[in-house]
Amino acid sequence: MTRERRLAPYLFLAPSIVLGTVFFVVPLLVSLALSFAVWDSLKAPRFVGIANYRYLLTRDPLFYESLWNTARFVGATIIIGVPLALALAVAFRRSRWKPLWRSAFWLPMVTNIVAVAYVWQFLLADPYGLVNRTLSAIGIAGPAWLADPAWAMSAIILVFIWFHLGQDMMLISAGLDAVDEEVEEAASLDGANRWEVLWHITLPLIRPTMLLVLMTNLVKGIGYFALMLVLTDGGPANSTNVAALHVYRLAFENLRLGMASAAAYLLLAVVMAVLLVQFRVMRRGGLDAWR
Amino acid sequence: MALKQSRRSALKYGLLALGALVMLVPFVDLTLGALRSPTERLARPPVYFPAVPQWQNFVTVFEAYPLARWILNSVVVTVLITAAQLATSAMAGYALAKYEFRGRALMLRFVVGAQLFPFFLLVIPLFFILRYWPLAGGNDFLGQGGRGLLGTYWALVLPFTISWYGIFLMRQFAVSIPDEMLDAARMDGAGEFRIFRSIALPLLRPALTVLGVFVFVYHWNEVVWTLTVTRSSPELQTAPIGIHLIRGVFDNEQEQSLQQAAILLTILPVAVLFLSLQRLYARSLGGGLTGQ
Repeated sequence: MTRERRLAPYLFLAPSIVLGTVFFVVPLLVSLALSFAVWDSLKAPRFVGIANYRYLLTRDPLFYESLWNTARFVGATIIIGVPLALALAVAFRRSRWKPLWRSAFWLPMVTNIVAVAYVWQFLLADPYGLVNRTLSAIGIAGPAWLADPAWAMSAIILVFIWFHLGQDMMLISAGLDAVDEEVEEAASLDGANRWEVLWHITLPLIRPTMLLVLMTNLVKGIGYFALMLVLTDGGPANSTNVAALHVYRLAFENLRLGMASAAAYLLLAVVMAVLLVQFRVMRRGGLDAWR
Repeated sequence: MALKQSRRSALKYGLLALGALVMLVPFVDLTLGALRSPTERLARPPVYFPAVPQWQNFVTVFEAYPLARWILNSVVVTVLITAAQLATSAMAGYALAKYEFRGRALMLRFVVGAQLFPFFLLVIPLFFILRYWPLAGGNDFLGQGGRGLLGTYWALVLPFTISWYGIFLMRQFAVSIPDEMLDAARMDGAGEFRIFRSIALPLLRPALTVLGVFVFVYHWNEVVWTLTVTRSSPELQTAPIGIHLIRGVFDNEQEQSLQQAAILLTILPVAVLFLSLQRLYARSLGGGLTGQ
């Protein structure tokens, strides 16, 4: 093998290795180091051992509250969003006018989150937003969605599902496209009706896809905070303050950078724990690797 | 049978149509809002369908806000990031797919694992690494004294010049490049970089297009990082950020219509780009990439 050929891969990888070190590895290490310190970005950091972690786990009421908010957000968006996406993907699969449906369902996900927040702020306005006007037309008095701590998280969840549905649909559709139609036809020739084919043949066949969708939703959901940041900034009364947003606000609003880093690593631990469980489940579900 | 068939398709198309309606109504609401006049907004209840659509809002907004500058910033940042990511991903993916070398398996595992790290973990350290970047923006070689790279396009572009997902995706595509083609070129005396440029890159073009559009859409829409870095640098703000920060300051009926017009103008380019290329994505090519 020539010298050039031996060197080539390292040269091709060099830009990624350098940039990946400076903008990924080093930041992770910096924030790990910071998590054991107190730092306000002005004075020099002061080492405090595990005090940040201890404070978050034993004294800070907001941290647990934010974890609970994350759990509500992730749970609800998955329980409502994924079956909805599945139903729509199944309906979409053998429909006419596919480009039309695709355009409609994909439009929200290519819309920036500031626009999403701004649009829904008007739609959810009380009492003259379109949502509450529609509700009152059928005799329901809609809540003050974004101003009421009891309803703000529900509003966030609804908006997020609207925004995110296209992505899940896209993934599930890809899974459905890969299903061998002959298997389904064989089952229907054997006398199974459409629902039985769907339930006993198609859905089991796309189980790996569904597991992948669940996993992406879980992992992405735990770290998600963009919509809360621009629509409610965690309010009202911290009702939409999810854990990742809590980390962000600790850092950039309170300038408690050590505490924020510790919270970030605790949240990473949650993500990793979820992933471990997921990998177990996926291996049992017949999907043995990440890809 | 025919009856059952039609009931089933009524259910199917009913579901799709209802879903599509829910997806599209917010955009209609936004458009109507952009065309509403202040008096119509002030009426109680407000007039929903504007009697005389205020089309001039789409022009006035360019005078009222630095919208042209915001859009220029969006274009510059997004184009630079997309170009950089395509270059680094293609090269690294190709190397990981087509060369045997020490550390390859480890590196591949790293690329897969690194995708799992959520961005909230990186925001804080990245901000301060750019802030204390030595010898930039008035900093001395210890990174003290100035603002570092904050306040420059670098701060918006550098952290996104590589993507683990992009590298992985390119690697998956590059694996299928036949080794015989590369070896034949070597026999003909072509250098390694020449082979990459004139054989591998053309074969990777479809994959690069897909990745490119995804990266473009994602970073055109990026909000968290851009907001963090440009809050105190108005001249660097992109369209979404500019509108987000201005809406808290200028909040009256006239301004709301202008802001809705501006928002619509920021959605349009990526929507057209993405939806017109939808056939590319309709096939099973890695969805989930637009995850914001």
